[in-house]
Amino acid sequence: MAKESDMSLFNDVLEPFRRVINTDPPKDKLSASSKLNFSDSNQSIKEGLSNLFSIGKRKSSLGDGSTPEKRLRTESTSNAPHSPWKTKRLKIDLIAAKAQITKLEARVNHQHTIRKEMQILFEEEKASLVEQHKRDERALADMEDRLQVIRRREQELREEFNEAIKEQKDAKANWDKEKNELFKQIAELKEKLLESNVSSKDQLSEMKKDMDELLQALEGAQTEVEILKKEVAKQTARAEQCITLKNQLEKQTFELQQVTSKLKEIEYERDSYKDWQQQAKTAQKRLSNMAELEKEVVRLRATERSLRDAVCNKLLLEEQVHQLNSRLEVLQPVQQELHEAKVKVASLEASLEEWKTAARNHGVENARALSSALETALTSQLTATATSSQAQSQLAQLTEEMTTVKYERDKATTKLNDLQTVRKNQESLIHRLQKRLLLVSRERDSYRQQLDCYEKELTVTLCGESGAGSAALLSARVEQLERALQGYRDLLATHDHQANTKQVETLRAEVTKWRDEAEALRRDVQKLRTQRDTLQAHMERLDTAPKTKVIHLTDNPAAAAHKQVQQDLETAQEEIKRLKAALREGGSRDISEETQKLRQQLESRDVKLKRMKEEFTSSAQEYRDVCYMLLGYKIDRTGHKNYRISNMYAESADEYLTFTLCDDGIEMVHTEYSASLDELVELHLHQHRSIPVFLSALTLDLFTRTTMQHEIQEC
Amino acid sequence: MSQQQTKNCITLRGSAQIICEYLKFAINSVLFQRGLYPPETFKAEQQYGITLLLSEDPLIKSFLTNLLTQSEEWIVNKKVTKLSLIILNVANKEVLECWDFNVQYEDGDIELSKEKKETVGSKDLKKIQQEIRDVMLQVAATISYLPFLDCRCSFDVLIHAKTDCDIPEKWAEAEPVAIANAQNVQLKTFSTSLHKMETVVSYKLSD
Repeated sequence: MAKESDMSLFNDVLEPFRRVINTDPPKDKLSASSKLNFSDSNQSIKEGLSNLFSIGKRKSSLGDGSTPEKRLRTESTSNAPHSPWKTKRLKIDLIAAKAQITKLEARVNHQHTIRKEMQILFEEEKASLVEQHKRDERALADMEDRLQVIRRREQELREEFNEAIKEQKDAKANWDKEKNELFKQIAELKEKLLESNVSSKDQLSEMKKDMDELLQALEGAQTEVEILKKEVAKQTARAEQCITLKNQLEKQTFELQQVTSKLKEIEYERDSYKDWQQQAKTAQKRLSNMAELEKEVVRLRATERSLRDAVCNKLLLEEQVHQLNSRLEVLQPVQQELHEAKVKVASLEASLEEWKTAARNHGVENARALSSALETALTSQLTATATSSQAQSQLAQLTEEMTTVKYERDKATTKLNDLQTVRKNQESLIHRLQKRLLLVSRERDSYRQQLDCYEKELTVTLCGESGAGSAALLSARVEQLERALQGYRDLLATHDHQANTKQVETLRAEVTKWRDEAEALRRDVQKLRTQRDTLQAHMERLDTAPKTKVIHLTDNPAAAAHKQVQQDLETAQEEIKRLKAALREGGSRDISEETQKLRQQLESRDVKLKRMKEEFTSSAQEYRDVCYMLLGYKIDRTGHKNYRISNMYAESADEYLTFTLCDDGIEMVHTEYSASLDELVELHLHQHRSIPVFLSALTLDLFTRTTMQHEIQEC
Repeated sequence: MSQQQTKNCITLRGSAQIICEYLKFAINSVLFQRGLYPPETFKAEQQYGITLLLSEDPLIKSFLTNLLTQSEEWIVNKKVTKLSLIILNVANKEVLECWDFNVQYEDGDIELSKEKKETVGSKDLKKIQQEIRDVMLQVAATISYLPFLDCRCSFDVLIHAKTDCDIPEKWAEAEPVAIANAQNVQLKTFSTSLHKMETVVSYKLSD
């Protein structure tokens, strides 16, 4: 329904636009014409003409701008001629009209475009409106769904609400019931409280009664206590009496002990008396043997005298022994010397024997012969030395001669060398001369040829013109030339050809020899050069010395080691020197002296040590004795940190105490004797915590006992 | 590729350090192998993939550090041509053995040097170490043919520097050494692509 209504509304809106669109196209042409007409109304006079133009225009085409003008011209020319003014006017009108037409056309186009744009706009709007419509419809449907949901919820909530109200009513009823019950309980509790109050009051009264009873009992007890105190006083008095009685008893027992001890002493005296009686009997028996004894005495005296004599003899003998010993001591070195002398004699005899054998070997029997032989030997030696000296002088002379000879030889060699050089010069001269000779011979040949030529010429000239003067001249010339030739020949003859050739040959042989030698030497040189080159290369390879320099750290290990070695050497040498010096001085004697000294020192030290020990023991004993005498106790060390103490007044050796030295002081060790001194231990050690007091108390106690014993004895 | 190149880049300084490290281990190894110092003063250390021994003696240690720091400087400046470790008899200063370490300078990777604007090499460090290890093994093997040193010996290191090289403090010029009737043995060479190290041992041939 809504859609339809929307659509109708939409159509209503669109209606005017549609109308406009529908009416537009026909209007276009009409408007143009109407407008033309309207414009023509202003120019009423040329209506017909303009119509004509417009019709013509429509006929040709509306868009063509150029053709109307041409037509216009054609028409203007073809039509009947008008007045020039008229034509002008017409033309002006025409142009104006044309302008208007173009304007109107532009407007019409503009309108068209506007219409199209409008149409597009409207279509777009329509599309958007349709979309919106659709959206609205969808939204509406959603809203309806939601409404239904909400209604359902509302229903549910109402139901819940009803249920809640019901529950609340139930709960209220329950609470009311509980409240009533609680009220009842409160009432009960109040009743109970009242009851308990009553019972507590009863109890209180009972307690008071009990209190009274107890007070009465206390009074009774106090009275009883007083009675008991009196009784205690009585009892203490009795106890005092008892103590006095006890003391008396103790005294009596002590006296009894003393009496018994006296009795023992008396018995001992009786026993000794019996011994004495026995001894007296034996003495009487001995007296009877007196005579025999006297005889024996005489005998014994004689023996004694003899013994005394013997003693005197013994003394004499001892003196003799002593003398002999001293003599022996004197004689012993003599004997040793004798022995040595014997040994020497033996050795000398052996040597003499050797000498003798040697002499015999040399064929000499007597000493004189030996001396003579020796003399001869000495003389022979002297002669030998003389000859040797002579020989030496000769040798010196010979060596001198040899040196002179050598010098001469050197001179000769130098001369030889000079001669050789001279020879070489001569050789070179010979060579030159040979060359010259060659030259000269050639010259001669050439002269000969010339001569021949001249002769020929001469013959020719002689044949031709027989001039006497010229012939004379020529002959003179020939003579001259011949003479010169003869001179040359003489010169040649002087140089002996054959000798020269021989010399030359020998020289050539020498030259070849020298050449060979030179070649050999060249080879050697080559070899040596190659060797040198190789060695140089080797050297270069070994050290690139020329371009580099060698650097090292000054304090290197090698230097340090070297220094160390030198130091060691020096010290060793010094030590050697020192030791050598010591050896020279004879260190062995020193050593023996030193040992003796040391031995003496050792002995003296030993003696000192012994004395010290004796002194120490005696002083220690003295100290101990003094301690014993002054303090009354003898202290013995029985082991490590253990000391045994026995009193001066002790009755037996078994009565001793032992103490050990601890970190915090001295502790007493339990012994049999200490067990018997419970009272003193309790009093002095456990209460006073003082050992000296305990010990002095013990001495006092023991002293009193012994003195009492003595008193009793004295009594 | 570019990453790898940067990885394998060895500068002049780094190369000199590698050389000096080699020298340190080589000298220590020789001192141990030739028995110049008691073996209990040496401590084993893992280097170049093998176990090498270094002296614990404070004097030797300080000597070597002094020597090698100065040598590194000289190698960087191309002043050193040769280092010689000489073993001599203490009693008469006779040279018994000479270990020459010849240093030659190479151009390295020229293209990379232009790129970096300093001379650098592009050799793989692992390969260099492998080569050094081979040399060290050879040094250890020399004990089989070198003559027995039966006297009290000590050692010194001579540096053959160029003549224009300044002599610093604690250093002095020394006499060049020569061994009479010497026998030379060339060991393997190795190169960092900037420096080439040639090791030669020469020893007195026993009569």
